[in-house]
Amino acid sequence: MSSVDYFQLLKLVAPEAVMALGALAVLAVDLLFMRCSSHHQRQTMGAFVAGLGCLGALLCLLQSGESASLFGGMLVVDPLTRMAKAALLILTVFTIILSIERTFSDHVGEYYALILLATIGMMFLVSSEELLMIFVSLELTSLSLYILTAFHKRSAQSAEAALKYFLFGGMAAAFTLFGISLVYGLSGATGLREIAVALEGKELDAPMALALVMTVTGFGFKIAVVPFHLWAPDAYQGAPTPTAALVASGSKVASFFVLAKVLMIGFSGFEGDAGWRHFVSGWAPILAVLALLSMFLGNLAAIAQSSVRRLLAYSAIAHSGYALLGILSNSERGFSSLMYYMVTYALTAIGAFGVVAIVEERKGGSRLSDFAGLGRESPLVGLSMMIFMLSLAGIPPLAGFFGKFYVFVAAVGSGSENSGLLWLVIVAIAMSAVSLYYYLQVLKQIFVADETSEPSVVREESFTNIAICGLAVLVVILGCAPNLLVAGFDAAVRTAGFK
Amino acid sequence: MNWLVNNLWLIPVAPLLAAGLIAVSKQRKRSFAAAVAIGSMAFSFLIALAAFILTLLPEEMFRQTVSIDWMQMGETSLRIGWILDPLTACMLVMVTFVGGLIFIYSTGYMAEDRNYTRFFCFLSLFAAAMLGLVISNSLLLLFICWELVGLASYLLIGFWYHKPNAAAAAKKAFITTRIGDVGFFVGMLWLYTETGTLLFYDGGNGCLEASSLAKLVSLSTVGGMAVSTAIGLLIFCGAIGKSGQVPLHVWLPDAMEGPTPVSALIHAATMVAAGVFLIARVYPLMAVAPVSNLVSAHHSPDSVAIVSASEMHEDSGQPGTGSGENVSQAKGESATDPLHGAAQSTASVSSALRVVTWVGAITALFAALIAVAQTDIKRILAYSTVSQLGYMFMGIGVGGIGVGMFHLITHAFFKALLFLGAGSVICGCHHEQDIRRMGGIRKYMPVTFATYAIGMMALSGIPLFFSGFWSKDEILHGAWLWPISKGPFILGLAGAFLTAYYMTRQMCFVFFGNYRGARASNPRDSAHVESELAHHTPHESPPSMTRPLVVLAVFAILLGVFGTPAWPWFEGYLAGHSAPFRLGRLFEFGTLGLMAGSTLIVLAGIGLSWWHYGLETPSNPNEADPLEQRQPRVFAVLRDKFYVDELYSVSVIRLNAATARFFDLFDRLFLRGIVQGIAAGVNGLSWLSRAVDEFVINLGFDRGCRGVRWSGSRASRFQGGKAQSYLRVLGVALVVLMLFITWGGTW
Repeated sequence: MSSVDYFQLLKLVAPEAVMALGALAVLAVDLLFMRCSSHHQRQTMGAFVAGLGCLGALLCLLQSGESASLFGGMLVVDPLTRMAKAALLILTVFTIILSIERTFSDHVGEYYALILLATIGMMFLVSSEELLMIFVSLELTSLSLYILTAFHKRSAQSAEAALKYFLFGGMAAAFTLFGISLVYGLSGATGLREIAVALEGKELDAPMALALVMTVTGFGFKIAVVPFHLWAPDAYQGAPTPTAALVASGSKVASFFVLAKVLMIGFSGFEGDAGWRHFVSGWAPILAVLALLSMFLGNLAAIAQSSVRRLLAYSAIAHSGYALLGILSNSERGFSSLMYYMVTYALTAIGAFGVVAIVEERKGGSRLSDFAGLGRESPLVGLSMMIFMLSLAGIPPLAGFFGKFYVFVAAVGSGSENSGLLWLVIVAIAMSAVSLYYYLQVLKQIFVADETSEPSVVREESFTNIAICGLAVLVVILGCAPNLLVAGFDAAVRTAGFK
Repeated sequence: MNWLVNNLWLIPVAPLLAAGLIAVSKQRKRSFAAAVAIGSMAFSFLIALAAFILTLLPEEMFRQTVSIDWMQMGETSLRIGWILDPLTACMLVMVTFVGGLIFIYSTGYMAEDRNYTRFFCFLSLFAAAMLGLVISNSLLLLFICWELVGLASYLLIGFWYHKPNAAAAAKKAFITTRIGDVGFFVGMLWLYTETGTLLFYDGGNGCLEASSLAKLVSLSTVGGMAVSTAIGLLIFCGAIGKSGQVPLHVWLPDAMEGPTPVSALIHAATMVAAGVFLIARVYPLMAVAPVSNLVSAHHSPDSVAIVSASEMHEDSGQPGTGSGENVSQAKGESATDPLHGAAQSTASVSSALRVVTWVGAITALFAALIAVAQTDIKRILAYSTVSQLGYMFMGIGVGGIGVGMFHLITHAFFKALLFLGAGSVICGCHHEQDIRRMGGIRKYMPVTFATYAIGMMALSGIPLFFSGFWSKDEILHGAWLWPISKGPFILGLAGAFLTAYYMTRQMCFVFFGNYRGARASNPRDSAHVESELAHHTPHESPPSMTRPLVVLAVFAILLGVFGTPAWPWFEGYLAGHSAPFRLGRLFEFGTLGLMAGSTLIVLAGIGLSWWHYGLETPSNPNEADPLEQRQPRVFAVLRDKFYVDELYSVSVIRLNAATARFFDLFDRLFLRGIVQGIAAGVNGLSWLSRAVDEFVINLGFDRGCRGVRWSGSRASRFQGGKAQSYLRVLGVALVVLMLFITWGGTW
């Protein structure tokens, strides 16, 4: 083992370090100087410092241009991870802006510090190709998110949601750890590339299959695919809005990223085949089953929902199903389209939760009927929600359409002869037609239905409005010019050295 | 400076954003809307000015393009982009500058209107589309903006949609220009099929560059016509529609139903000139002639067009227009005259350019004739615009881009000035547009009078001090040297005479004599005229309206300096070389003689008109026109616009209606029987399928939905309190998945 050049290490983790400093700064500023200020001032200050931390980290990211892989893949810095981190930071910034005008908690400093910590976890998650490091970062993210989910202390729902999230997550983590230990036992390595080398040419025997299933379980929990989705509707409903947005956006982007890496690099010998009537055991059939179940259950259950939060939760499950197609295609093209899909989905989800927050502030709830008359009351918010919903449904020229388009094309064009994944793509397209029904239900409430009750409180929510409009504009721009993002991911994936 | 080229898209995007912003803001925010619109135009103007200065720098390349992949379609990708060359730069400056002034003027003119914000929204949208059209480096992008410009024009002509006339005029404009656009569209598709690209310049691969042109010119189609000529003519169809040339000119005068700033901005200064701009842009395509000519006349402009196109991307300082390049190669008279180099052998002029020239020349005279007998102040100007657009096409046809574009730029300024002046007069006379009910207004509106007089003199071509004289003279000079025929020259001269005549007539009616509005009650009641207002005297307009007039007037005079024969700076600028100052050229026999001749013609027109109208101005608005007293028949034909509208309504429109009626009858008598028979069968079938649907499928779907709801409620029931059951699901799922991949085996 050569001696570690700590200066070099510090340079490589500069963005994460800046974020950690930002978390400490938020705590310090809030607890030392802002104790006597009003709640709104504390929120604004906290968000300002936290946002500054994110922007600082973003700046560090943009400045550094070197690539390196340290400690057997524990820390990988290359254009791809840089892009993923930049996306995560931008998503976090939007989450922070959404938080400013929320009033669920008095512990402002802790709240923003936890958001930053969760983001640090995600950043390490995407920049690691080593199972232990992945597990530790996964836990850092998850634990921060559990606490954030419980942050609405006056609400029993919030506590219940957090507890379920925690129990389910804990169990999933236990399985994952067991899976990792099996992998280590079989290969003698924890770095993904070393694992691939060590396992090359091996049969898929029972221990290996167990390791595979158990590893997938942990990530399946993070990305909320059926049957590991059970926590999601409860958590989305009970959690404070910004937390729900973070769970639906950043956490998912990071988890998908690392799941794709683990499967495509680490288990590259065990992909099997999910082609129609060409099933070969491996991770591809597992993912195909999970994707199929998610698309069906997510879309059908969403139809029956009367709460928009739960509707978004089930829609998130369905979207995870679509996104799995990107991993299933097992190609560079699939990876970059997966990233485009997830990033644009995350932007849309944050925006939708922002609108939910506004409606809850006005009507005290987020049932479908609470959205009635939104289009007349505040046309801009209504219009933004329309963009989000149509993008989620996959209507061109919004980002959601191109996300699905690229993922489906990657899946159809993937290596397997006779376009083996075509059956899954057909199911996906049919199910996205179904999904249009419940997205339009929301829009119908916003633009057509008559308002049922007068708004209880009307507060000017300028920050939230700005964030929502900004997100809507981003969704439109990324839809009209998908190459802005796709070309970047394509180039980055090519340098990252997949197969 | 690369930054500027790469960010040229900001110029159209700024007004586009302004339009969007105004569209979503509340209707009450009037000053906000105006400020945003004017601010965006000012911003675009500054960038356009910077771009213009950039093209003046000698070390910069003659033509710079930026192309981006728009969308990927299989193997090929659709590319669009923008371009910066002198042609674009001068149009950008003109559009943003004149547009900005008209925006400012509109704040005064539209101050009373209820839909003030909507007006600025549409204006900004128009400006965005027009600027996009100017900078685009792709025929497709140009076409998109072209249609957007048409849409904005439709919206603005019909801005007072509660007036039936305005609504009808908007529809007419939209449909008539669309007829031309069909040709344009077909031409575009053809061009794409043949060359595989719609980018104009693309480092040697563009559709206007040597390789594509050589390919296009070598192919021939119906009647031995070269494909390049056919495509050029199809594209010219679009230009005919948009620029109101004969026979599609009928919409432009009607378009004057829109608010006056719209008439000034869209239907005089910018949009109608888009047709001329389009032909200037695709000039290399229009100018190439078949190869056989290349052999017979090796110094022809066509060979030059190809040669210069190929040189262009090697060292982009070379001229791309052909007409300038000729100087070094051509012999004889034209060698001494770099402005009109296109004049040599007959065979060298491509047929596309011949058509352009003839259409332009005929329109120039035709519209000028009609203008003589009109009585609506804006309609006179509208026909004058049609006529001047004809001059521009003629200029491009006989003298190349420089000549036509120079007239376009000067015309934009003085015609905008005239329209805004007319608007000021209309405002001052309480929305009266009939020149017979005006008179003597120079006493009431001195600023408007002075500026209008400058505009009038520029348009008529009063020598030496007005821009219109120089630009028109260039065209006549080019026509004189045109080898094919002297016809366009004669038509042009006649048009010049008539232009002077009708403008003087208008001046006499409006500004001289006594005010006649007070005496007459108003028989032709337009929606905006309150007849009780008619007895008020005219008044001068507010400064927001007069100041743009003054600025435009200054430019209407000054611009002439840049295109005199002594110092043909503008032509040189467009062609990419500097033009030396040589006073002597002014006094060469051909130039001087022509100048003298056209001056005489103009003075004759003014004199005759003054004799008819100025010496004794009519005192009663209902009195017959002096010309009508002398030649009642001719006057009636001219007043009724040569019965073109009537001709169309008895030919095209009646044909259309008759066809429709025929098919209607056919449909009812013949098809209905068949249809009803089929319908009965289908009814039976549908009854059957309805039964199936209701009892089999629907029931099944309902069951399915109920099943989903039921399972959802099941799920939520065990999600209600029991985290244990979740975990059980997790465990079971794990086991099932495990079994699936171990024993699911290979199938």
